[in-house]
Amino acid sequence: MTKDKSRNQPVIRRHHQGIGTAPPKVDDMKATLKRIWRYMYQEKKKFNVVLAMIVLSSGLSLLGPYLLGAAVDEIIEEPNTGTLWTMLSLLFGVYVFQSLFLWLQNYWMINISQNTIYKMRNHLFSHLQRLPILFFQKRQQGELMSRLTNDMENVSRTLNTAVIQFVTSILTITGTLLIMLWLSPLLTLFTVTIVPVMYFGMKWITKRTGKYFKEQQKHLGDVNGYVEEMFSGQTIISMFSREERVIKDFEAKNEALKNSGYWAQTYSGFIPKLMNMLNNVSFAIIVGAGGLLALNGSISIGVIVTFTTYSRQFTRPLNDLANQYNMILSAVAGAERVFQIIDENEEKQDEQLAEDIKEIKGDIEFRSVDFSYEKENLTLSNINFHASPGETVALVGPTGAGKTTIISLLSRFYEINKGSILIDGQEIHSMTRDSLRRQMGVVLQDSTMFHTTIRENLRYGRLDATDEEVEYAAKAAHAHEFITHLPDGYETVLDSDGGGVSHGQRQLLSIARAMLADPALLILDEATSSIDTVTEIKINDALSKLMKGRTSFVIAHRLNTIRAADLILVLQHGEIIEKGSHQELLQQEGFYSGLVRAQQAEGKASV
Amino acid sequence: MKKVFSYATAYKASAIIALLLMLLELTVELIQPLLMAHIIDEGIMKEDYTVVSIYGGVLAGLSLLAFAAGIINSFFAANVSQGVGFDIRRDLFKKVQSFTNDNFQSYSTPNLVTRMTNDVIQIQNLVLMLMRIALRAPLFIIFALVMAFTVNVTLAFILVAAVPLLGGFLFWVLLKGVKLFKGVQSRLDHVNTVIRENLAGVRLIKGFNRGDYEEERFDKVNNSLMEKNKHALWLMEIAMPIIMLGMNVIILVLLFVGAVQLNIGGAQAGEVVAIINYATRIMFTFSIFSFLIMVFSRGNASANRISQVLEEPVPQFLNAAGRPHFNLSGNVSLKEVSFSRNEAEVLKGITLDVKAGETIGILGETGSGKTSLLHLLPRLHDKSKGRILFDDVEIDDVNVKSLRQQISLVPQEVHLFSGSVKENIAWGKENAAEGEIIEAAKQAEIHSFITSLPNGYDTMLGQKGVTFSGGQKQRLSIARALVRKPKILILDDSTSALDAHTEARLLKTLKQQNCTIFMVAQKISSLRAADQIIVMHQGELIAEGNHEQLLSLSSYYQQVYKSQQEDVM
Repeated sequence: MTKDKSRNQPVIRRHHQGIGTAPPKVDDMKATLKRIWRYMYQEKKKFNVVLAMIVLSSGLSLLGPYLLGAAVDEIIEEPNTGTLWTMLSLLFGVYVFQSLFLWLQNYWMINISQNTIYKMRNHLFSHLQRLPILFFQKRQQGELMSRLTNDMENVSRTLNTAVIQFVTSILTITGTLLIMLWLSPLLTLFTVTIVPVMYFGMKWITKRTGKYFKEQQKHLGDVNGYVEEMFSGQTIISMFSREERVIKDFEAKNEALKNSGYWAQTYSGFIPKLMNMLNNVSFAIIVGAGGLLALNGSISIGVIVTFTTYSRQFTRPLNDLANQYNMILSAVAGAERVFQIIDENEEKQDEQLAEDIKEIKGDIEFRSVDFSYEKENLTLSNINFHASPGETVALVGPTGAGKTTIISLLSRFYEINKGSILIDGQEIHSMTRDSLRRQMGVVLQDSTMFHTTIRENLRYGRLDATDEEVEYAAKAAHAHEFITHLPDGYETVLDSDGGGVSHGQRQLLSIARAMLADPALLILDEATSSIDTVTEIKINDALSKLMKGRTSFVIAHRLNTIRAADLILVLQHGEIIEKGSHQELLQQEGFYSGLVRAQQAEGKASV
Repeated sequence: MKKVFSYATAYKASAIIALLLMLLELTVELIQPLLMAHIIDEGIMKEDYTVVSIYGGVLAGLSLLAFAAGIINSFFAANVSQGVGFDIRRDLFKKVQSFTNDNFQSYSTPNLVTRMTNDVIQIQNLVLMLMRIALRAPLFIIFALVMAFTVNVTLAFILVAAVPLLGGFLFWVLLKGVKLFKGVQSRLDHVNTVIRENLAGVRLIKGFNRGDYEEERFDKVNNSLMEKNKHALWLMEIAMPIIMLGMNVIILVLLFVGAVQLNIGGAQAGEVVAIINYATRIMFTFSIFSFLIMVFSRGNASANRISQVLEEPVPQFLNAAGRPHFNLSGNVSLKEVSFSRNEAEVLKGITLDVKAGETIGILGETGSGKTSLLHLLPRLHDKSKGRILFDDVEIDDVNVKSLRQQISLVPQEVHLFSGSVKENIAWGKENAAEGEIIEAAKQAEIHSFITSLPNGYDTMLGQKGVTFSGGQKQRLSIARALVRKPKILILDDSTSALDAHTEARLLKTLKQQNCTIFMVAQKISSLRAADQIIVMHQGELIAEGNHEQLLSLSSYYQQVYKSQQEDVM
């Protein structure tokens, strides 16, 4: 296991460029296998050892039955203890080494496959960390999750076993065929007659299983979706007494699943039966025809015994190959979905001359900034504003007006099309992204927490903070009091999806986390959900403490936050339509003042 | 496990047929080596071609018989396993339909969904395996040993001595493997948790620039998964080579003893061949065992998870008939009502009198018991102490279904179902006429928005449908509650996302409905017009009265009012 720096980057060496590059669609399987190979390539030496082991153990497993047959002949025809002993010790040696090689090949293969999967997982995960935010916005979390977990597991399981089995199967088939030919070409011919029968039989079955498995998958998806939707709306169902109706609807989906499942299982049950029968038939053929030949004296009884064993070794891997092929296909499909993510473009690299910035004052300026996610439509156009150190900028406007985009541009999650963004008078693209983002702290309205203790969650703001510093920040954010009232205090483990503490308390924690980070620039996404008044007062107080002395950007919903801002940017359709302080904007008698007046008339506190 | 297996009794006939067919197949397989011995000893050795051809024919015929048995077995086995799966899913779904909110708190939705799908599939696999191969493996070994005895007693003894030894070793390794794989599973869960959190918190992680930290965190769990996986797999993979070696050595012993016996005339050549054949087949059967134990241990865990849901206690009142139907007028009174959950008192001695047609505003902090209080009325929760009366009739005497038919609840978190806008509103009243749906939508101030959509009331909601804003969803959810013309309407903070104009209009319309309204809100402006406002704090009702009264009476109310006044300037 070489843990060098390149472990996240598969070594790319195209030493075997395939003959004639077919169109990508047809070549997908090959290309994907090649990519998996690139991860395995660093284990090349081990892999060669495994291959050698497979050759040896397959060879021995072919030699075994031959020697056994010879030994049987020996016993029957010429009971000579001397030669018998030689035969037996020879066989013993073969068996010992066969098992030994079998074990070694498995041992090394597991090592290779697990190392490979480890590398792929790590590579995938680090790649995810470098993907732009937009990537995550475009995709369903559940779907991504499934690629990262289920698909990876699928590849892992296949690598563990399929490679060895696949190679072994092919070697065994070839070897068996050769030995059988050598023993008796005529009997071999008889044995091989079952192959076409097997081929057509399997084709007949898999045509049907394929269809029904697909159907079953679809119905399973239906049931899954329906159950999920109904269970999460259970209050509504009981409230509106819709249980019977819902059960009836479910019954229909359940029935459909059962029917497709029934046929899928029945047909797939045919496969081993068919194989068994063909095995038996070939057994009968060998014994029958072999017996006849033995009567002629053209072959010995030992050959018949040997032949029956070989014929089993011949049909069994043929069946295995079909199974392994399906397994490999599904793993390749999984790997393809994983590689699709790896192929997504990372955020751009830092410019060559980009420098690390140490400390900033927090003077921010946007000069005629244009930006678009996609080529055609401008998401932001001609954005101009200036904020002095310590000032608060409130971003106001309807959803989709471009508030979040402005903040993303400031953090350089995206590159602007035109204009410039300056921090302390320096263009941001001359700074490294890491050092730029190190200056920023965020408080988001969803108050993301991790599944760990409150203490560790707060420490996420600054990883090297001491316990005292953590508690100091919690006190400043009015979170200390409720934390110490929890049975486990700072050691209380939070759920990542909301359990443990109330929504308002999560916001207080989120503020404490940002306080601990002590950034020069602060980004706030104010919560819209209703929080009880007492907690809200605490949040407001904690926020104003946090924002003091830092340049802050607030995606604002509450009127008192907006009113207190030094600069209000009113956005609509990606443009700043009004800008100024609260008083200035009121005097302009424009969009903003209309908004405020409407709210005042109704006594409502949010925009 | 027992409970889950009792489902198979419904398919007893199919199961028995499947098992009998399996036995037939097995018998054929066991006779084969015997026939082979006969062909060698009586036919080939004695140069009697008729024996060879007759027995060869019998061999082929039996193979076809076994094949037919196997094919028919497939049908019956699939019938049992799919039937059991179907029945378990049906019962699970029905069971969950009788769950209360409290039941739901012990399981999350994804957890229940997994039990209904993955766990049931595991059970199906287990049943199928039992019908097809599970019994086959041990039976094969036992029968093969018995047959070996009929062939040659001395040689059979050697086989009988060896098989339990190797079988025991295999069993031990597999049990250990199952344990190790549990460790692997928990490591895999760690990996998945890190990924899930990473995806959920992607904005935060980028905001704090914690990509490297996350990579390190992931590398740690990933590495530990790899190590565990290697160990488990290594153990499992050592089993087969050792078993093979063991069995092969047995064959060598059989050969040697056979040769000696042959010399002294105690055995015939065909007998030795037949016994070696049995030994080889037993060796192959061993490899099935590892598969069996895996499926069995997985199936067992799944069966336990399923039983847990099926045996989850649910309140009995839902089944109690009560009165067949009772017309609410809208009068509600609560007398010293308490409610406990998990031994914690959530509501303490609430007393409240509400007249038909009144609007009751409810104010209080998160966790003060507002939602629990409201859920008591339609019996989404059951009170622990005190009395709840509708027109002097005890809540326990009212048929739950009829009670719920006359109460509408708009919950805090809007849940709409995939389907059209029209279907979603009609959730409130099955077979609601088009006119009723439109009327409810108008009352909920959402009609004009719906008609502005290209497909109007037929617009599809849900994953592939239109996304509505929070306020639009709330209004749709209110329309759904209004379409049934309830006698009691419960609004659990369900106007929070509406703008002030809309909210005011909506409240005015609601006031004109002939129903009692319970309304939770955070904003005094929403509650101001209520006939009665109650203030909740830590499960107690600390103040009640109308807006003016509370302003002078309740310091809490004053404080809230003041903080919200400031916002308005």
